[in-house]
Formats: sequence, structure tokens, C-alpha cells
Amino acid sequence: MATDTDTGRVEGFGEVSRVRGIAFEYLSLGASVFGIFALAVLLVYVTIDAFDLANASPEWLLTYFLTLVVPFLGFCLYSARDRALTRRAVTVAGGGLVAVAVVFTLVETFVGQIPRLNWQLAYLFAVGIPLTGYLTYMGARGQPGSVGFGLVGRLIGGTAVGLALTVLFLVFDPRLWFLAYTLGVVPATLAYGYGYVREVPTAMTAVIPIGIVGTLGAVLLRPIVDTYPTTVFVYLWTLAIPVAVAGALVVAARGGRTTALAAGGVPLAVATAVGLGGQLAGLAVGGPNALVVLAVAGVPTAVYLHRVFDVGEGVIGLGLPVLLAVGALAGALVVETFGIPAPNPWVSETFLTEAPSRTASEAGLYPAIVGSVIIIAMVAVLSFVLGVATSVFLEEYTADSGVVGALTRLLQINIANLAAIPSVVYGLLGLGLFANLLGFGFGTAVTVSLTLSLLILPITIISAQEAIRSVPDDLRRGSDAMGATRWQTTKNIVLPEAFPGILTGTILALGRAIGETAPLIMVGAATTVFSPPSSLFSKFSAMPMQIYAWANFPQAEFRYGVVAAGVITLLVILIGMNGTAILLRNRAERGS
Amino acid sequence: MSNTPSSDTRSSESLITTDVETGSNDRITPSDRTAVAARDLNVYYGDEQAIDDVSIEIPEKRVTALIGPSGCGKSTFLRCINRMNDMIDVCRVDGDVEFGGKNVYDDDVDPVALRRKIGMVFQKPNPFPKSIRDNVAYGLKIQGFDGDVDARVEESLKSAALWDEVKDQLDSSGLDLSGGQQQRLCIARAIAADPEVVLMDEPTSALDPVAASKIEDLIDDLAEEYTVIIVTHNMQQAARISDRTAVFLTGGRLVEYDDTAKIFEDPEEQRVEDYITGKFG
Repeated sequence: MATDTDTGRVEGFGEVSRVRGIAFEYLSLGASVFGIFALAVLLVYVTIDAFDLANASPEWLLTYFLTLVVPFLGFCLYSARDRALTRRAVTVAGGGLVAVAVVFTLVETFVGQIPRLNWQLAYLFAVGIPLTGYLTYMGARGQPGSVGFGLVGRLIGGTAVGLALTVLFLVFDPRLWFLAYTLGVVPATLAYGYGYVREVPTAMTAVIPIGIVGTLGAVLLRPIVDTYPTTVFVYLWTLAIPVAVAGALVVAARGGRTTALAAGGVPLAVATAVGLGGQLAGLAVGGPNALVVLAVAGVPTAVYLHRVFDVGEGVIGLGLPVLLAVGALAGALVVETFGIPAPNPWVSETFLTEAPSRTASEAGLYPAIVGSVIIIAMVAVLSFVLGVATSVFLEEYTADSGVVGALTRLLQINIANLAAIPSVVYGLLGLGLFANLLGFGFGTAVTVSLTLSLLILPITIISAQEAIRSVPDDLRRGSDAMGATRWQTTKNIVLPEAFPGILTGTILALGRAIGETAPLIMVGAATTVFSPPSSLFSKFSAMPMQIYAWANFPQAEFRYGVVAAGVITLLVILIGMNGTAILLRNRAERGS
Repeated sequence: MSNTPSSDTRSSESLITTDVETGSNDRITPSDRTAVAARDLNVYYGDEQAIDDVSIEIPEKRVTALIGPSGCGKSTFLRCINRMNDMIDVCRVDGDVEFGGKNVYDDDVDPVALRRKIGMVFQKPNPFPKSIRDNVAYGLKIQGFDGDVDARVEESLKSAALWDEVKDQLDSSGLDLSGGQQQRLCIARAIAADPEVVLMDEPTSALDPVAASKIEDLIDDLAEEYTVIIVTHNMQQAARISDRTAVFLTGGRLVEYDDTAKIFEDPEEQRVEDYITGKFG
């Protein structure tokens, strides 16, 4: 204790020494500052390389310093007094990012081709869509007696639907999409709507069978039917209209009929005009893709803007994105006018959208990005499902004592030990089990995803167990005493309470999985592929693999510039994914 | 027995007075039907005996209080009635507990189905981290009730004397309520599923005297529709609200079981009198 050193004898009560406490406090501070400092140095170093800032002329740096950095810092200082303002600015900057993404997607659509995957993957999601959609919708309603996974359904279901929709569009033949939507999704939605409004539970129960039958029917009818509307109409019918309706419904709940019509209708009208106009005029601009992009990105942007202005949330905060956009434009203008030599950043549009190349200036990361995203999506689903199932079983269903209890403890020790096994060993396991024995092929997305799922499974299980264990026993007993079965208690009480904790563990584990290289090398993932994977069983690469390959190139340009650009891209994608997951988790914490 | 009667209007006398007012014992008549009965009940935790050969008949639609010092087995007895002891691995039960004329420990009794007929309120208020409405509707939800849920929620909250306080915030979390309100929410939750018996395990021991007295009033009303069995450490409380009182003493033995007035005014056993007057326990 701090009383053992006697410093100064003052009149009255005397003094108690705090020397050790203060020393400890500063040591702790030093330790945390050291970590942050090391990370900051790394980031600055990589950023300078990736954006070629070392070669930038002083004039160029000065220009952008004045147009971008100074206004940004000014805004920070101005808003530092007002916490709410900062929050709004950041919120709106996020909205601004969405808008920027719209523009970029537009550009990309007109330049690049959308990659096509094969039908197995598509089928996976075609069955997934009606199911997850149904579960999400029911889960969000949460009526007593209805089927649904509540919070889990809302979070996972919503993400899964979004993912499934995207992949479907990348993958599916628009005609099949058209048939499946017309025969499966529309009747199912109508049945649900009818059941909901008129309160007919049977209609709601019929949603899943209708959806599945319709989708299957579409697959069977696809080769038989030979007259289809044009692609533009298919996209309009299957995508643009539903998105517009959904957007309008969201706005209508708060903003009234006219605004709702505007939020849903204007982007729809613009998208239709561009889509049809492009096709009629035979222009390179427009066509089906423009329609898709405008409808999918435009409606959410409209809904978002409505929110900003209607709720009054962040109108002042709109200043930050405007400031940044104007600053960037002004800087570009100055640089252009005075002919200031600009650096040549490695992270560029071509880097993100092109295949790898032998020349550093043309090198791209696109196939590896697609590969990584596919792997991460599969690993997330696999490890979440397996991890939650295992931890629920271990925590809720096994006995604490007797033979079963001893077996459970043995299993626990083994899981804890598995978490400490080096990833190379998991690579070997994947090679032997998935690639050779089960024949999923060397370096395919399936093999790699399964291997990485196994790798992070122990971490997922242990953190999920902790989360489940932290749910107070009072709640379980309360539910049991109501006459709930074990499953009902687990589903209604334990899982919703433990969900944020489970999600935290999964997010951390996924962060590890996305950066792993060793197991990928072991199972034979390609270091370099020149086109995005066309199926789950085709050769593919991932971002860390590609970066690793570049680091071994003889040219210095690769080892410094391109690798740095790859690292920045990897980090941005990783942080983006983690950020989204953390946002979801915080919502879950608040919602429960 | 630290609680002092506060806003309670019916009884503010000290414990053993000859004119203690004990609820409304006159309701007890010989023709009362038995709701729950135990016959030669023995319960063991491992090698330790928690209940020693207890036989008791608990009347329907009355409040029966179980009192006794800590560790005397009264909570264990309560948990035998809805088989919550099944959750404890080392617990072993011998003998019969009859509910509705059937031994609940028979092989063909599903404990989950049994618990749907017997509500339970715990010592510490344990509302679920859900909205007030979902808390009350929980029993209906798990039983697949397909009637008017909102009406049942309102009815139960009214029965639990909570409706007026929460009717405008049914969608806010049950955890936002005060301790006393939480406990009444738990009572509403227990009766929403329409049980026949409500078990209460020291329902007011974690509450302040005002909140506790509200719960006591509520228990009195509940006895018109439900059989209430309540474990309490608070002797005044047992005297005020119960019709029948069972006194457990150390070792899990049921020492005396009689009308509450009789127990508090003129107990047969010297040990019971010692316990009630605070000389022992």
C-alpha cells in the first residue's frame, strides 16, 4: 500500500504517499502510447509509399495542405466544442461516402465488366434469399407465436439478404432472375402482405413454400420459355421498382406521402430514363447496368438525404463533406492551372479495378479483392454458425458433473489448445482433409474458406462461450419457470443477451482470418490470378497472398509502391468490415 | 425480519399479540379443496438431506406462507412443486408431490408442461431484457397463444396493479422500471400465462418497505383467483397476508402447519414460538 513511504509531515491529518501509484499510472500511459505510436508510424510510412507522397513537389503538398488539411483541421477545431456537431458531421460524412460510392460505382460500371460466377454459387443464394428474407421480416416483427430468429434474424438476415442480392446480380442470368422473381418472390411477398394486413396467419406460413416452389419453377421454366422482355425491363421489374417501393415505404413512415413518392420515384424515373434512353440511343453510356446502379444506389441516397433534412440531423454537419469535396476540387484546379507536377499515387482506380500485371504501373488488385471478399463472406457464415452452435451446446446443453461433465471439460481444454496451434498446421490440415481427402481442390475458395473457418473456430467458440456464460442465471431460471423448453430459453433469452458479445468475438476472429497467408500457401492458393474467380471451385487469390507475391518481386517499385498500396487497400477493407460489424453490434446492444 | 410495517394499514402491531390480525383466516373452511399436496417428501442434495419427510396439504385459492430460518428447506420445497430442482444435477427427490391429483414426479409428467400451470416469482426481480409488453407476453409466446395478446397483457398488468404506471410505455424496456415495479412485472408475467398456482420465493426481500407493501396488497388480491404459496423471512408479512402458515425448522422438517392465526397466537410447539418471537433462528 501507499502508506509505507512517509513524505512530509504536515499539520493535521498528515499525508499519504502516492508515489508508486503515480509511477504505475505513467508506466501504463507509456505502454499504451507506445502501441499507438508504433501503429501510427507504420500507417504514415505505408501511406507515404502508397500515395507516392515522397516524390510530391513542395508546391503540390502546399496546395493540398491549404485546400484540404487546413479546412479539415479548422472544422475539427470548430466542432470540438460541440460534441453533437462532431457526431453529426461524421454521420453525414458517412452519407457523403455513400454518395461518392454511387458516383464511383457509376464510373466503374461504364468502364469495367461485371464478373460472372457460376450457377452453383448462384443457386446457393437463390435458396437463401426467400428464406433469409422471410426470417428477417418475421424476426423484425417479433410477434408471439410466429416463426423467426428475432434479433439474430434481423442482423444476420438483413446482411445475408443484401449479400445475396448483390451476388445474385453478379451471377444470375437476368432471365432466370426475372422468372424467379415473378413466380417466387412476388407471390410470396403478396401472400405475406395479405396475411399481415388481413391478419391471416396461414397466408404468412405459406410464404416459404410459395417462394421455394416459385424459384424452383423458374429454374425449370428457364430453358423452356423463349420469349423474354429486354434486359432493361427485367432489371426495372425485378430490381428498380422493389427498391423504389421499399425506399418510399421507409420515408412514408416518417415523412408523409409526397416526400415518399419523391424519394422512391425520382431515382426510379431517372434510372428508367437513363436505362431506356441509353438503350434506345445505342449509347455506350446507360443500358441495364446504369439502371441497376442508379436504382440501387439512388434510392438509399434519397432516403438518407430526406432523413438529414427532415429530421434536421446533421444539416450543419453537411459542412464537412462539402468542405472536403470543395477542397479537393480547388486543389486539383490550382495544380492544373499552374502546372504543378503531381505525384503518381499507387492506389488508384486502375489499381482497384485491374488484374495484376508485370509492370508496376499497371498492376491491379481486383481479382484478389473479389477473392478475399468471397472468402470472408463464407468464413463469416461458417464460423459464426459452427461457433455459436458449439458454444450453445457446451454451455446450455451439457451437464456440469458426471461422465458428461468430464467429457465436456476435456473438449473445453482441447478447444483452448486448438486456439494456440500455428496457422501453418491448419494449412496442412486443410491440404490433407479438404483438398485431398474430400476433393474440394487445391486453392479453391471452398478449401480456403473451410480451412480458415477451422482456424478461427476456437476463438469464435471461446468468445461465444464467454458471452453466453455472462448471461445472468436469473434470466434462465425465470424463463424455465415460465415453462419454456431449453430451446425456447436459449433462443428467446440467452442468445439475444449474448449476441453482442458473440459478435465481438467473431469480428476479432474474422480480422485474423482476412490477414492470414500461411494456410493459404499450404492449401495451394494462387499468388497471382488474372481474373476474378468464376466459381467457388476455381483457382483464386486473396489480398494477403497477392501482397506477399509482390513483396518478392525483384523490382523496387513493386516492393515499395505496389505493396504499400495493397496494404492500404487491405486495411481499408478490413476496417470497413469491422466498422460495419461494430455498428451492427452497437445497434444490437441498444436494441436489446 | 428487518422490515418494519410501513404504510400497511391492516396491521402495525408487533408479532405475538393475541389480537394480531391475520389476513382473513375465516375464509378457511373444512371443505377447501387441496391444490398441492406433498406426501412423505424427502429431498437430498448429494448426501445432504434438505427436506425430511414432509407431508402437507395446501388449500386452493388461499395464501399459504412457508416460514423458517435460512437453510431450513422451505425454498427447496417450493422448487419441488414446479420441479425447478430438476435443474440442479445433484438434487434427488423421494416421495410424492401431488398437483391436481397427480404426482408431478411420475414418469409421464413433462416438467415443462407442469411449469406452464405453475407460475413462479423469484427473490430478485428478474424481468427479461425485453419491452414490458414482451415480458408479460413471454409465457403466451412460448405456449403459442394465438388469441388477443394485447388484451391479455393489459389484463395481467392490471391484475398486478402495474397497468396505470406503465400503460404509456409498454414498449420501453422492463429493466427501466424501479425494483418494486420490476417485481410486479414479474408477477404480471407469471399470471399472464394463466397458471393455477403462483409460487413466490421471498418476493419482497429485495424491495423497500413501500414497494413491499404494494406487493403484499397484490398477493392478497391474487388469492381470489390463484393458489399462492409464498416463502418469506418476514414474520409480519406472513402474519398479514397468509391464511395458512407452515413452519420449517432446521433439517428440513415441517414442524407445524396450521391456520396463520393459530401459528402466531398459540403455536403447539415451543420451538415455533421461540422462532416467531425471535428467541431462535
